[in-house]
Amino acid sequence: MNTDLGLLGLLQLVSPALPIGAFAWSQGLESAFELGWVHDEASLGAWLAGVLDDGLARLELPVLARQHAAWQAQDGALLYQWNAWLLANRETRELVEEDVQLGTALVRLLKGLDMLPAHGLMAQPAYVTMFAYTAQARGVAARQAMLGFGWAWLENQLAVACKALPLGQSAAQRLIEQLRPRLVAAIDDAERWEDNDLGPALPGLALASAWHETQYSRLFRS
Amino acid sequence: MTAPLPERLNTDHGHRFDASRRWDASLELGFIHSGGATRLKRCHHHGPLRVQRPFYPEGEVCHVYLLHPPGGLVSGDRLAISAHVAEGAQALLTTPAAAKLYRADSHGVAWQQHTRLDVEDGGLLEWLPQETIAFDGSKGRQSVEIALSGNARCLGWEAMALGRPASRLPFESGRIEQHFRLVRDGRPLWIERQPLDPHHPRFHGRWGQGGHAVQATLWAVGLPDMKLAVETLREHIAPSTRWAVTVRLDVLLLRYLGDELNEARALCHEAWALLRPLLAGREACPPRIWFT
Repeated sequence: MNTDLGLLGLLQLVSPALPIGAFAWSQGLESAFELGWVHDEASLGAWLAGVLDDGLARLELPVLARQHAAWQAQDGALLYQWNAWLLANRETRELVEEDVQLGTALVRLLKGLDMLPAHGLMAQPAYVTMFAYTAQARGVAARQAMLGFGWAWLENQLAVACKALPLGQSAAQRLIEQLRPRLVAAIDDAERWEDNDLGPALPGLALASAWHETQYSRLFRS
Repeated sequence: MTAPLPERLNTDHGHRFDASRRWDASLELGFIHSGGATRLKRCHHHGPLRVQRPFYPEGEVCHVYLLHPPGGLVSGDRLAISAHVAEGAQALLTTPAAAKLYRADSHGVAWQQHTRLDVEDGGLLEWLPQETIAFDGSKGRQSVEIALSGNARCLGWEAMALGRPASRLPFESGRIEQHFRLVRDGRPLWIERQPLDPHHPRFHGRWGQGGHAVQATLWAVGLPDMKLAVETLREHIAPSTRWAVTVRLDVLLLRYLGDELNEARALCHEAWALLRPLLAGREACPPRIWFT
Protein backbone atom coordinates (compact mmCIF):
# COMPACT_ATOMS: atom_id res chain seq x y z
CA MET A 1 0.00 0.00 0.00
CA ASN A 2 1.20 3.49 -0.88
CA THR A 3 2.35 5.17 2.37
CA ASP A 4 1.57 8.66 1.08
CA LEU A 5 -2.01 7.61 0.46
CA GLY A 6 -2.09 5.96 3.89
CA LEU A 7 -0.91 9.16 5.62
CA LEU A 8 -3.53 11.21 3.82
CA GLY A 9 -6.17 8.62 4.67
CA LEU A 10 -5.22 8.94 8.36
CA LEU A 11 -5.33 12.76 8.22
CA GLN A 12 -8.78 12.51 6.65
CA LEU A 13 -9.92 10.14 9.43
CA VAL A 14 -8.68 12.34 12.32
CA SER A 15 -9.76 15.65 10.84
CA PRO A 16 -12.28 17.62 12.96
CA ALA A 17 -14.10 18.09 9.62
CA LEU A 18 -14.92 14.35 9.46
CA PRO A 19 -18.73 14.40 9.51
CA ILE A 20 -19.38 12.09 12.48
CA GLY A 21 -20.10 14.77 15.07
CA ALA A 22 -17.15 14.11 17.43
CA PHE A 23 -17.17 17.80 18.44
CA ALA A 24 -20.45 17.28 20.34
CA TRP A 25 -18.93 15.00 23.02
CA SER A 26 -16.74 15.99 25.99
CA GLN A 27 -16.19 12.65 27.81
CA GLY A 28 -17.07 14.08 31.21
CA LEU A 29 -14.79 17.10 30.81
CA GLU A 30 -17.67 19.58 30.77
CA SER A 31 -18.81 18.17 34.10
CA ALA A 32 -15.27 18.42 35.51
CA PHE A 33 -15.41 22.17 34.68
CA GLU A 34 -18.80 22.51 36.37
CA LEU A 35 -17.46 20.79 39.52
CA GLY A 36 -14.42 23.04 39.56
CA TRP A 37 -12.07 20.06 39.29
CA VAL A 38 -10.64 21.49 36.10
CA HIS A 39 -10.47 25.28 36.14
CA ASP A 40 -7.33 26.45 34.34
CA GLU A 41 -4.50 25.45 32.04
CA ALA A 42 -2.57 23.58 34.74
CA SER A 43 -5.50 21.56 36.09
CA LEU A 44 -6.60 20.77 32.53
CA GLY A 45 -3.09 19.53 31.71
CA ALA A 46 -3.13 17.25 34.77
CA TRP A 47 -6.61 15.91 33.93
CA LEU A 48 -5.70 15.20 30.29
CA ALA A 49 -2.39 13.55 31.23
CA GLY A 50 -4.19 11.35 33.76
CA VAL A 51 -6.94 10.32 31.36
CA LEU A 52 -4.32 9.65 28.70
CA ASP A 53 -2.19 7.40 30.94
CA ASP A 54 -4.97 5.54 32.76
CA GLY A 55 -7.76 5.77 30.22
CA LEU A 56 -6.61 5.85 26.59
CA ALA A 57 -3.35 3.93 27.10
CA ARG A 58 -5.21 1.14 28.90
CA LEU A 59 -8.45 1.03 26.98
CA GLU A 60 -9.00 2.70 23.60
CA LEU A 61 -5.44 2.46 22.26
CA PRO A 62 -4.71 -1.20 23.06
CA VAL A 63 -8.18 -2.21 21.84
CA LEU A 64 -7.58 -0.20 18.67
CA ALA A 65 -4.39 -2.19 18.02
CA ARG A 66 -6.21 -5.48 18.71
CA GLN A 67 -9.10 -4.54 16.42
CA HIS A 68 -6.71 -3.41 13.70
CA ALA A 69 -5.13 -6.88 13.75
CA ALA A 70 -8.54 -8.57 13.90
CA TRP A 71 -9.80 -6.66 10.84
CA GLN A 72 -6.60 -7.58 9.03
CA ALA A 73 -7.12 -11.25 9.91
CA GLN A 74 -10.86 -10.95 9.17
CA ASP A 75 -11.52 -12.60 12.52
CA GLY A 76 -15.19 -11.81 13.15
CA ALA A 77 -15.33 -13.56 16.53
CA LEU A 78 -12.37 -11.57 17.86
CA LEU A 79 -13.81 -8.30 16.54
CA TYR A 80 -17.09 -9.01 18.28
CA GLN A 81 -15.34 -9.99 21.50
CA TRP A 82 -13.19 -6.83 21.81
CA ASN A 83 -16.08 -4.62 20.76
CA ALA A 84 -18.27 -6.08 23.53
CA TRP A 85 -15.39 -5.90 26.01
CA LEU A 86 -14.79 -2.23 25.27
CA LEU A 87 -18.46 -1.26 25.66
CA ALA A 88 -18.73 -3.26 28.92
CA ASN A 89 -15.84 -1.17 30.27
CA ARG A 90 -17.64 2.13 29.61
CA GLU A 91 -18.57 3.45 33.03
CA THR A 92 -21.68 5.51 32.22
CA ARG A 93 -24.61 5.88 29.83
CA GLU A 94 -23.10 8.88 28.02
CA LEU A 95 -19.74 7.20 27.56
CA VAL A 96 -21.43 4.16 25.97
CA GLU A 97 -23.60 6.43 23.81
CA GLU A 98 -20.64 8.45 22.63
CA ASP A 99 -18.78 5.33 21.55
CA VAL A 100 -21.75 3.69 19.80
CA GLN A 101 -23.06 6.87 18.13
CA LEU A 102 -19.66 7.85 16.75
CA GLY A 103 -19.16 4.24 15.60
CA THR A 104 -22.55 4.22 13.90
CA ALA A 105 -21.90 7.61 12.27
CA LEU A 106 -18.60 6.30 10.93
CA VAL A 107 -20.37 3.23 9.49
CA ARG A 108 -22.84 5.58 7.75
CA LEU A 109 -20.00 7.61 6.33
CA LEU A 110 -18.17 4.49 5.10
CA LYS A 111 -21.36 3.29 3.45
CA GLY A 112 -21.59 6.59 1.55
CA LEU A 113 -17.98 6.10 0.45
CA ASP A 114 -18.71 2.51 -0.59
CA MET A 115 -16.10 1.36 1.92
CA LEU A 116 -18.12 -0.86 4.26
CA PRO A 117 -16.41 -4.06 5.39
CA ALA A 118 -17.70 -7.13 3.59
CA HIS A 119 -17.60 -9.18 6.80
CA GLY A 120 -17.36 -8.63 10.53
CA LEU A 121 -19.62 -5.62 11.08
CA MET A 122 -21.49 -5.96 14.40
CA ALA A 123 -24.79 -4.45 15.55
CA GLN A 124 -23.30 -1.90 17.97
CA PRO A 125 -19.90 -1.01 16.59
CA ALA A 126 -17.77 1.07 18.94
CA TYR A 127 -15.99 4.10 17.48
CA VAL A 128 -12.65 2.41 18.23
CA THR A 129 -13.66 -0.68 16.24
CA MET A 130 -14.66 1.36 13.18
CA PHE A 131 -11.66 3.68 13.47
CA ALA A 132 -9.48 0.56 13.40
CA TYR A 133 -11.33 -0.71 10.34
CA THR A 134 -11.03 2.56 8.41
CA ALA A 135 -7.33 2.90 9.19
CA GLN A 136 -6.65 -0.70 8.25
CA ALA A 137 -8.65 -0.42 5.02
CA ARG A 138 -6.61 2.65 4.05
CA GLY A 139 -3.31 0.91 4.69
CA VAL A 140 -2.47 2.79 7.90
CA ALA A 141 -0.25 0.75 10.25
CA ALA A 142 -1.55 0.05 13.78
CA ARG A 143 0.92 2.37 15.52
CA GLN A 144 0.09 5.27 13.20
CA ALA A 145 -3.59 4.60 13.72
CA MET A 146 -3.04 4.83 17.50
CA LEU A 147 -1.13 8.09 17.11
CA GLY A 148 -3.94 9.46 14.98
CA PHE A 149 -6.62 8.34 17.43
CA GLY A 150 -4.77 9.88 20.39
CA TRP A 151 -4.20 13.09 18.46
CA ALA A 152 -7.88 13.39 17.52
CA TRP A 153 -8.83 12.85 21.17
CA LEU A 154 -6.41 15.53 22.38
CA GLU A 155 -7.54 18.07 19.79
CA ASN A 156 -11.18 17.40 20.57
CA GLN A 157 -10.71 17.71 24.35
CA LEU A 158 -8.89 21.02 23.85
CA ALA A 159 -11.67 22.26 21.55
CA VAL A 160 -14.13 21.44 24.36
CA ALA A 161 -11.99 23.42 26.80
CA CYS A 162 -11.68 26.39 24.41
CA LYS A 163 -15.47 26.54 24.15
CA ALA A 164 -16.55 25.75 27.69
CA LEU A 165 -13.81 26.72 30.16
CA PRO A 166 -12.92 28.91 28.24
CA LEU A 167 -9.29 28.21 27.45
CA GLY A 168 -7.30 30.53 25.18
CA GLN A 169 -5.96 29.29 21.85
CA SER A 170 -2.33 29.89 22.90
CA ALA A 171 -2.85 27.97 26.12
CA ALA A 172 -4.29 25.10 24.07
CA GLN A 173 -1.16 25.09 21.89
CA ARG A 174 1.06 25.11 25.00
CA LEU A 175 -0.81 22.06 26.29
CA ILE A 176 -0.35 20.27 22.98
CA GLU A 177 3.40 20.96 23.15
CA GLN A 178 3.46 19.57 26.67
CA LEU A 179 1.30 16.50 25.95
CA ARG A 180 2.69 15.43 22.57
CA PRO A 181 5.56 13.44 24.11
CA ARG A 182 3.15 11.91 26.62
CA LEU A 183 0.93 10.79 23.79
CA VAL A 184 3.87 8.93 22.26
CA ALA A 185 4.69 7.43 25.68
CA ALA A 186 1.03 6.38 26.09
CA ILE A 187 1.23 4.50 22.79
CA ASP A 188 4.46 2.80 23.86
CA ASP A 189 2.62 1.72 27.02
CA ALA A 190 -0.46 0.64 25.09
CA GLU A 191 1.68 -1.63 22.90
CA ARG A 192 3.22 -3.23 25.97
CA TRP A 193 0.14 -4.05 28.07
CA GLU A 194 -1.13 -7.62 28.16
CA ASP A 195 -4.87 -8.26 28.11
CA ASN A 196 -4.96 -8.53 31.92
CA ASP A 197 -3.43 -5.06 32.35
CA LEU A 198 -6.21 -3.33 30.45
CA GLY A 199 -9.14 -1.28 31.61
CA PRO A 200 -8.71 0.39 34.99
CA ALA A 201 -11.90 2.28 35.79
CA LEU A 202 -11.50 5.99 36.46
CA PRO A 203 -13.82 6.69 39.42
CA GLY A 204 -13.62 10.48 39.24
CA LEU A 205 -14.30 10.55 35.51
CA ALA A 206 -17.14 8.06 35.98
CA LEU A 207 -18.80 10.25 38.65
CA ALA A 208 -18.34 13.39 36.56
CA SER A 209 -19.83 11.69 33.51
CA ALA A 210 -22.84 10.37 35.46
CA TRP A 211 -23.52 13.84 36.94
CA HIS A 212 -23.42 15.26 33.45
CA GLU A 213 -26.70 13.45 32.77
CA THR A 214 -28.42 15.95 35.08
CA GLN A 215 -26.19 18.99 34.54
CA TYR A 216 -28.51 21.97 34.11
CA SER A 217 -26.68 23.91 31.46
CA ARG A 218 -24.66 21.91 28.96
CA LEU A 219 -23.06 22.40 25.59
CA PHE A 220 -21.99 18.80 25.06
CA ARG A 221 -23.67 15.42 24.89
CA SER A 222 -21.22 13.76 27.28
CA MET B 1 -1.88 -49.15 53.02
CA THR B 2 -2.40 -45.46 53.70
CA ALA B 3 -2.42 -43.14 50.72
CA PRO B 4 0.09 -40.32 51.13
CA LEU B 5 -1.40 -36.93 51.82
CA PRO B 6 -1.56 -34.70 48.79
CA GLU B 7 1.62 -32.69 48.69
CA ARG B 8 -0.28 -29.40 48.87
CA LEU B 9 -1.43 -30.17 52.39
CA ASN B 10 2.12 -30.73 53.54
CA THR B 11 3.58 -27.60 52.09
CA ASP B 12 0.96 -24.93 51.61
CA HIS B 13 -0.83 -23.81 54.70
CA GLY B 14 -1.50 -20.86 56.90
CA HIS B 15 1.13 -21.69 59.50
CA ARG B 16 4.15 -21.01 57.38
CA PHE B 17 5.46 -17.52 56.99
CA ASP B 18 7.10 -17.40 53.61
CA ALA B 19 6.02 -16.82 50.05
CA SER B 20 4.15 -20.15 49.93
CA ARG B 21 1.89 -19.25 52.81
CA ARG B 22 -1.60 -20.13 51.73
CA TRP B 23 -4.90 -20.86 53.41
CA ASP B 24 -7.90 -21.76 51.32
CA ALA B 25 -11.51 -21.47 52.30
CA SER B 26 -14.50 -21.93 50.06
CA LEU B 27 -18.24 -21.98 50.23
CA GLU B 28 -20.69 -23.14 47.60
CA LEU B 29 -24.38 -22.41 47.95
CA GLY B 30 -27.23 -23.56 45.72
CA PHE B 31 -30.78 -22.24 45.99
CA ILE B 32 -33.85 -23.76 44.36
CA HIS B 33 -37.50 -22.82 44.21
CA SER B 34 -39.72 -25.54 45.57
CA GLY B 35 -43.13 -25.66 47.23
CA GLY B 36 -43.67 -21.90 47.10
CA ALA B 37 -40.40 -21.00 48.81
CA THR B 38 -36.68 -20.88 48.17
CA ARG B 39 -34.62 -23.64 49.73
CA LEU B 40 -30.92 -23.84 50.39
CA LYS B 41 -30.45 -27.08 48.52
CA ARG B 42 -26.69 -27.25 48.44
CA CYS B 43 -24.21 -26.00 50.99
CA HIS B 44 -20.65 -27.16 50.74
CA HIS B 45 -17.80 -25.61 52.65
CA HIS B 46 -14.09 -26.02 53.00
CA GLY B 47 -12.04 -24.23 55.64
CA PRO B 48 -13.30 -21.36 57.79
CA LEU B 49 -16.34 -20.24 55.80
CA ARG B 50 -19.81 -21.22 56.99
CA VAL B 51 -23.44 -20.31 56.88
CA GLN B 52 -26.00 -20.27 59.65
CA ARG B 53 -29.32 -21.95 58.99
CA PRO B 54 -31.38 -19.94 56.48
CA PHE B 55 -33.94 -17.41 57.73
CA TYR B 56 -37.31 -16.61 56.21
CA PRO B 57 -38.19 -13.21 57.74
CA GLU B 58 -40.38 -12.31 54.79
CA GLY B 59 -41.72 -15.68 53.72
CA GLU B 60 -40.58 -16.54 50.25
CA VAL B 61 -37.06 -15.11 50.16
CA CYS B 62 -34.26 -17.17 51.69
CA HIS B 63 -31.92 -15.03 53.84
CA VAL B 64 -28.47 -16.45 54.54
CA TYR B 65 -25.62 -15.05 56.65
CA LEU B 66 -22.13 -15.90 55.49
CA LEU B 67 -19.74 -16.39 58.37
CA HIS B 68 -15.99 -16.12 58.17
CA PRO B 69 -14.92 -16.62 61.79
CA PRO B 70 -11.39 -15.17 61.33
CA GLY B 71 -13.18 -11.93 60.36
CA GLY B 72 -10.52 -10.78 57.94
CA LEU B 73 -7.96 -11.71 55.38
CA VAL B 74 -4.23 -11.96 55.87
CA SER B 75 -1.44 -12.77 53.45
CA GLY B 76 -2.00 -16.06 51.67
CA ASP B 77 -5.72 -16.35 52.39
CA ARG B 78 -7.78 -17.44 49.45
CA LEU B 79 -11.53 -17.17 49.86
CA ALA B 80 -13.91 -18.40 47.21
CA ILE B 81 -17.65 -17.93 47.58
CA SER B 82 -20.12 -19.11 45.00
CA ALA B 83 -23.88 -18.92 44.99
CA HIS B 84 -26.17 -20.43 42.40
CA VAL B 85 -29.80 -19.34 42.27
CA ALA B 86 -31.98 -21.65 40.16
CA GLU B 87 -35.02 -20.66 38.13
CA GLY B 88 -37.56 -18.74 40.17
CA ALA B 89 -35.59 -18.89 43.45
CA GLN B 90 -34.97 -15.75 45.54
CA ALA B 91 -32.04 -15.42 47.91
CA LEU B 92 -30.52 -12.64 49.99
CA LEU B 93 -26.95 -13.01 51.22
CA THR B 94 -25.23 -10.83 53.77
CA THR B 95 -22.48 -10.95 56.38
CA PRO B 96 -22.63 -10.28 60.13
CA ALA B 97 -19.78 -7.76 60.27
CA ALA B 98 -17.30 -5.72 58.25
CA ALA B 99 -14.53 -7.76 56.65
CA LYS B 100 -10.99 -6.64 57.36
CA LEU B 101 -8.03 -6.84 55.06
CA TYR B 102 -4.91 -6.90 57.21
CA ARG B 103 -1.45 -5.62 56.44
CA ALA B 104 0.60 -7.96 54.25
CA ASP B 105 3.29 -10.06 55.94
CA SER B 106 7.00 -9.33 55.59
CA HIS B 107 7.05 -11.30 52.32
CA GLY B 108 4.31 -9.14 50.87
CA VAL B 109 2.16 -12.17 50.07
CA ALA B 110 -1.25 -11.20 48.73
CA TRP B 111 -4.71 -12.48 49.66
CA GLN B 112 -7.49 -13.25 47.22
CA GLN B 113 -11.23 -13.18 47.51
CA HIS B 114 -13.39 -14.36 44.68
CA THR B 115 -17.18 -14.26 44.60
CA ARG B 116 -19.13 -15.94 41.85
CA LEU B 117 -22.89 -15.34 41.58
CA ASP B 118 -24.97 -17.33 39.11
CA VAL B 119 -28.64 -16.52 38.64
CA GLU B 120 -30.95 -18.44 36.32
CA ASP B 121 -33.96 -17.13 34.43
CA GLY B 122 -36.58 -15.69 36.78
CA GLY B 123 -34.28 -15.96 39.80
CA LEU B 124 -33.32 -13.10 42.12
CA LEU B 125 -30.14 -12.71 44.11
CA GLU B 126 -29.37 -9.89 46.51
CA TRP B 127 -25.69 -9.72 47.49
CA LEU B 128 -25.51 -7.34 50.41
CA PRO B 129 -22.26 -7.90 52.32
CA GLN B 130 -21.20 -5.49 55.01
CA GLU B 131 -18.28 -3.28 54.11
CA THR B 132 -14.64 -4.15 53.70
CA ILE B 133 -11.94 -2.25 55.60
CA ALA B 134 -8.49 -2.41 54.05
CA PHE B 135 -5.75 -1.71 56.57
CA ASP B 136 -2.68 0.15 55.46
CA GLY B 137 -0.27 -2.22 53.72
CA SER B 138 -2.93 -4.70 52.68
CA LYS B 139 -2.25 -6.48 49.41
CA GLY B 140 -4.76 -8.50 47.51
CA ARG B 141 -7.34 -9.01 44.84
CA GLN B 142 -11.09 -8.96 45.31
CA SER B 143 -13.28 -10.05 42.43
CA VAL B 144 -17.00 -10.37 41.91
CA GLU B 145 -18.25 -12.26 38.89
CA ILE B 146 -21.96 -12.28 38.09
CA ALA B 147 -23.38 -14.59 35.43
CA LEU B 148 -27.07 -14.18 34.56
CA SER B 149 -29.35 -16.14 32.25
CA GLY B 150 -32.53 -14.94 30.60
CA ASN B 151 -34.50 -12.64 32.87
CA ALA B 152 -32.42 -13.16 35.99
CA ARG B 153 -32.32 -10.27 38.46
CA CYS B 154 -29.45 -9.29 40.70
CA LEU B 155 -28.70 -6.41 43.03
CA GLY B 156 -25.50 -6.13 44.98
CA TRP B 157 -22.89 -3.84 46.37
CA GLU B 158 -19.31 -3.63 47.54
CA ALA B 159 -18.24 -0.85 49.88
CA MET B 160 -14.60 -0.40 50.80
CA ALA B 161 -12.69 1.85 53.16
CA LEU B 162 -9.01 2.32 52.49
CA GLY B 163 -7.11 2.66 55.72
CA ARG B 164 -8.98 3.62 58.85
CA PRO B 165 -9.99 7.24 58.32
CA ALA B 166 -11.72 7.45 61.71
CA SER B 167 -8.45 6.53 63.47
CA ARG B 168 -6.39 8.72 61.15
CA LEU B 169 -4.57 5.70 59.79
CA PRO B 170 -4.51 6.32 56.07
CA PHE B 171 -3.83 3.79 53.33
CA GLU B 172 -0.25 4.71 52.42
CA SER B 173 1.15 1.45 51.13
CA GLY B 174 -0.05 -1.83 49.74
CA ARG B 175 -2.12 -2.52 46.67
CA ILE B 176 -5.64 -3.77 46.19
CA GLU B 177 -7.33 -4.68 42.96
CA GLN B 178 -11.07 -4.83 42.79
CA HIS B 179 -12.70 -6.50 39.79
CA PHE B 180 -16.29 -6.70 38.63
CA ARG B 181 -17.53 -8.69 35.70
CA LEU B 182 -21.20 -9.11 34.85
CA VAL B 183 -22.40 -11.18 31.89
CA ARG B 184 -25.86 -12.05 30.68
CA ASP B 185 -26.22 -15.13 28.47
CA GLY B 186 -22.49 -14.97 27.87
CA ARG B 187 -22.38 -11.33 26.76
CA PRO B 188 -20.29 -9.04 28.98
CA LEU B 189 -22.32 -6.02 30.14
CA TRP B 190 -20.14 -4.57 32.85
CA ILE B 191 -16.43 -4.99 33.38
CA GLU B 192 -14.47 -2.93 35.85
CA ARG B 193 -10.94 -3.17 37.17
CA GLN B 194 -10.04 -0.90 40.01
CA PRO B 195 -6.36 -0.91 41.01
CA LEU B 196 -5.93 0.91 44.32
CA ASP B 197 -2.32 1.86 44.69
CA PRO B 198 -1.52 4.88 46.87
CA HIS B 199 1.71 5.50 44.95
CA HIS B 200 0.02 5.84 41.57
CA PRO B 201 -1.07 9.30 40.33
CA ARG B 202 -4.55 7.85 39.75
CA PHE B 203 -4.98 7.49 43.52
CA HIS B 204 -4.89 11.25 44.09
CA GLY B 205 -5.86 12.62 40.67
CA ARG B 206 -9.36 13.97 40.16
CA TRP B 207 -9.95 11.67 37.19
CA GLY B 208 -9.18 8.73 39.48
CA GLN B 209 -9.72 8.20 43.18
CA GLY B 210 -9.29 11.88 44.05
CA GLY B 211 -7.52 10.93 47.29
CA HIS B 212 -10.76 9.61 48.75
CA ALA B 213 -10.67 6.86 51.34
CA VAL B 214 -14.10 5.32 50.87
CA GLN B 215 -15.78 4.00 47.78
CA ALA B 216 -18.88 1.98 47.09
CA THR B 217 -20.50 0.52 44.00
CA LEU B 218 -24.06 -0.75 43.84
CA TRP B 219 -25.32 -2.61 40.78
CA ALA B 220 -28.82 -3.67 39.80
CA VAL B 221 -29.88 -5.67 36.76
CA GLY B 222 -33.26 -6.96 35.65
CA LEU B 223 -35.25 -3.86 36.64
CA PRO B 224 -38.33 -3.71 34.40
CA ASP B 225 -38.15 0.09 34.07
CA MET B 226 -34.60 1.41 34.29
CA LYS B 227 -35.61 5.03 33.68
CA LEU B 228 -38.04 4.96 36.58
CA ALA B 229 -35.38 3.40 38.81
CA VAL B 230 -32.87 6.17 38.07
CA GLU B 231 -35.49 8.89 38.52
CA THR B 232 -36.59 7.38 41.83
CA LEU B 233 -33.03 7.39 43.17
CA ARG B 234 -32.35 10.95 41.99
CA GLU B 235 -35.60 12.20 43.44
CA HIS B 236 -35.37 10.64 46.89
CA ILE B 237 -31.69 10.55 47.81
CA ALA B 238 -30.19 13.87 48.89
CA PRO B 239 -28.03 15.15 46.03
CA SER B 240 -24.31 15.31 46.69
CA THR B 241 -21.18 15.39 44.58
CA ARG B 242 -20.10 12.19 46.36
CA TRP B 243 -22.54 9.89 44.56
CA ALA B 244 -24.05 9.47 41.10
CA VAL B 245 -26.16 6.94 39.28
CA THR B 246 -26.27 5.84 35.66
CA VAL B 247 -27.65 3.02 33.53
CA ARG B 248 -25.56 1.55 30.76
CA LEU B 249 -26.13 -1.69 28.83
CA ASP B 250 -29.12 -2.43 31.10
CA VAL B 251 -26.99 -2.34 34.24
CA LEU B 252 -27.75 0.31 36.85
CA LEU B 253 -24.61 1.52 38.61
CA LEU B 254 -24.60 3.77 41.65
CA ARG B 255 -21.19 4.93 42.77
CA TYR B 256 -19.95 6.63 45.91
CA LEU B 257 -16.59 8.30 46.30
CA GLY B 258 -15.98 10.08 49.57
CA ASP B 259 -14.49 9.70 53.03
CA GLU B 260 -17.28 8.46 55.29
CA LEU B 261 -18.02 4.78 55.57
CA ASN B 262 -21.30 5.53 57.36
CA GLU B 263 -22.37 7.75 54.49
CA ALA B 264 -21.52 5.08 51.89
CA ARG B 265 -23.37 2.42 53.87
CA ALA B 266 -26.44 4.63 54.36
CA LEU B 267 -26.46 5.45 50.64
CA CYS B 268 -26.41 1.76 49.67
CA HIS B 269 -29.15 0.90 52.18
CA GLU B 270 -31.33 3.79 51.01
CA ALA B 271 -30.86 2.91 47.33
CA TRP B 272 -31.68 -0.73 48.07
CA ALA B 273 -34.85 0.28 49.91
CA LEU B 274 -35.90 2.40 46.92
CA LEU B 275 -35.02 -0.17 44.28
CA ARG B 276 -36.33 -3.33 45.91
CA PRO B 277 -40.04 -2.63 45.30
CA LEU B 278 -39.18 -2.01 41.63
CA LEU B 279 -36.92 -5.04 41.32
CA ALA B 280 -38.62 -7.61 43.52
CA GLY B 281 -42.11 -6.20 44.08
CA ARG B 282 -41.59 -6.11 47.84
CA GLU B 283 -40.41 -3.66 50.47
CA ALA B 284 -36.87 -3.89 51.80
CA CYS B 285 -36.52 -6.21 54.76
CA PRO B 286 -33.16 -5.31 56.31
CA PRO B 287 -31.46 -8.33 57.88
CA ARG B 288 -31.57 -8.06 61.67
CA ILE B 289 -27.87 -8.75 61.92
CA TRP B 290 -27.12 -5.28 60.48
CA PHE B 291 -28.44 -3.76 63.70
CA THR B 292 -26.63 -5.92 66.22
